[in-house]
Amino acid sequence: MKHPAATEPSARESEETGLPIFRSWKSVYLLVLGSFVFWVALLIALTKIFS
Amino acid sequence: MSALDFVVLIGSMLGIAIYGIWRTRGRRSLNAYLHGDGQTPWFAIGLSVMATQASAITFLSTPGQGYLGGLGFVQIYFGVPIALIIIAIFFLPIFRRLNVYTAYEFLGRRFDGKTRLLGAALFLVQRGLGAGLTIYAPAIVLTTVFGWPLNLTIICSGLLVIIYTVAGGSDAVTVTQKYQIGIIFAGMVTAFCLLVAKLPAGLNFTDTLALAGGFQKLNAVNFSTNIHERYTFWSGLLGGTFLMLSYFGTDQSQVQRYISGSSLREGRLGLMFNAVCKIPMQFSILLLGVLIFVFYQFEQPPLLFNPASHQYLAQHNDSGQLQALESGFQKTHNQARQQIENWLDARHNGDETGARTAFAAAAAAQQQGEAIRARAEKTLTAANSGTTANDADYVFITFILQQLPHGVIGLLVAAFFAAALSSKSAELNALGSSTTIDFYRHLVKRDATDAACVAASKWFTAFWGLVAIGFALYAHLVENLIQAVNILGSIFYGVMLGLFVVAFFIRRVGGTAVFWSALAAQALVFVLFFYLTISYLWYPLIGCAACVFFSLILQATLGATNKSAPASPVS
Repeated sequence: MKHPAATEPSARESEETGLPIFRSWKSVYLLVLGSFVFWVALLIALTKIFS
Repeated sequence: MSALDFVVLIGSMLGIAIYGIWRTRGRRSLNAYLHGDGQTPWFAIGLSVMATQASAITFLSTPGQGYLGGLGFVQIYFGVPIALIIIAIFFLPIFRRLNVYTAYEFLGRRFDGKTRLLGAALFLVQRGLGAGLTIYAPAIVLTTVFGWPLNLTIICSGLLVIIYTVAGGSDAVTVTQKYQIGIIFAGMVTAFCLLVAKLPAGLNFTDTLALAGGFQKLNAVNFSTNIHERYTFWSGLLGGTFLMLSYFGTDQSQVQRYISGSSLREGRLGLMFNAVCKIPMQFSILLLGVLIFVFYQFEQPPLLFNPASHQYLAQHNDSGQLQALESGFQKTHNQARQQIENWLDARHNGDETGARTAFAAAAAAQQQGEAIRARAEKTLTAANSGTTANDADYVFITFILQQLPHGVIGLLVAAFFAAALSSKSAELNALGSSTTIDFYRHLVKRDATDAACVAASKWFTAFWGLVAIGFALYAHLVENLIQAVNILGSIFYGVMLGLFVVAFFIRRVGGTAVFWSALAAQALVFVLFFYLTISYLWYPLIGCAACVFFSLILQATLGATNKSAPASPVS
């Protein structure tokens, strides 16, 4: 009755992203946070410059 | 709408729906119906998560938010990247390891049956009601475009979604969402480009931003610590994180999307795709609304964008008040436009003093115009027993119908319809799944076969579709649609998140303590919602914190825990 495709994730599956530059999940999360900081900075700049 | 518009609209919508049903034909097992084939790649998961959240309301109402309130609404999405990272690290691996169909099965394994049912019930109530608003939004578009009765439009479009979702199941949702979001992006990008092309020739990029900023439309970030202000950096970052963590982490309509991936990697990358794209996407949609505002500084906008409100005022216009309001509105708009043109000339000639003077005059005229518009809305509310114009929902569609060419109108109406179908089908699929797995198979018929569960899931999906239609028939009573959806979610999501936070991180708390604590926390949120005027973004944080705090106190009072191990198997 349970989903056959979902199984215990292996250590390799948990750690590797399969991406060319961002090989660890930690680096992917840092990329996401960096993108977030970039957008917030851009929006703050937009607010300060044009209001 | 011309024949070309109809061809684009009907062809794209029916084509995608029929393709989805055809691609998923013959899938009769419970696993295939609720989870798909388990081979979904990360890009499809990412688009599916995005399409599930971004309903027609997002594309119809958000530009109106930008037009009326500027970019400040984007702050509500500041919590998305943080929330999705937390889900990718903590929630997703456990959901996959336990092989659950619904997020609430996890609560049953970690705590007990009653806590599982409570989590599922909170989801069903708030999502069942929210689903009504998802149907209502495209009905507004169709009503405005075709002049059909609103209620008939709600019923017809709701039934179409029900048929499509019941026939297709989870895989059909994912398959069709890829093409639906393609149509949505094609429509929005086309509208954006045509809008930019329609701005006056003498208005360059920085002029446009300066004009919008001068009218306070580019105030994207507000660091105020006043908790009564609805959209601030802090409410977005803290409250928004809890709201998004609740939505993406505990709402079955989202959980069902990302646990269907072929591996943990695919699910995580799909979530990270959304973590990166969500803020720029919402910013672009709000910017579209801001640019429509700039466009209407040079073109006469309607007094009220909602044609039904205008018609009502016209029909109850015994004293000629509407003509006076429209005349005054047109006069102030002409004054503002003249002063903006003076400001533009002075700006291009380097005359700073002249530019400042002209802009001050333009702003004063514009404020007078807004005051006249507010009077018209007040008159409407007084004449029609509290009805509001809900103008934000009509700004974009008015612009589309009045300013864009045929073919593009059809494409954009198709985009709204695609957005409605994609989120609606995911919601109904999740409501049907949760009712089947968490109630029918858990309470009513524990030995139900796969075939019986699939049949039950189809019936429950249809049932929730009808409930959503019923709620949609009364949706016109609420204020701006996208806010209504978020307010509804914020009331229930905090306690749901509290259940999961306790389950994941506080191992010493057992089922009885968390169950009664969740009920107490939900009661507290209801009381606070009706008696306080704080931003709704704070309620997920309050509900979650109250649930966790009450659980700790109650568990300490009860003494020894009766919790089970998080990964203990159940039938």
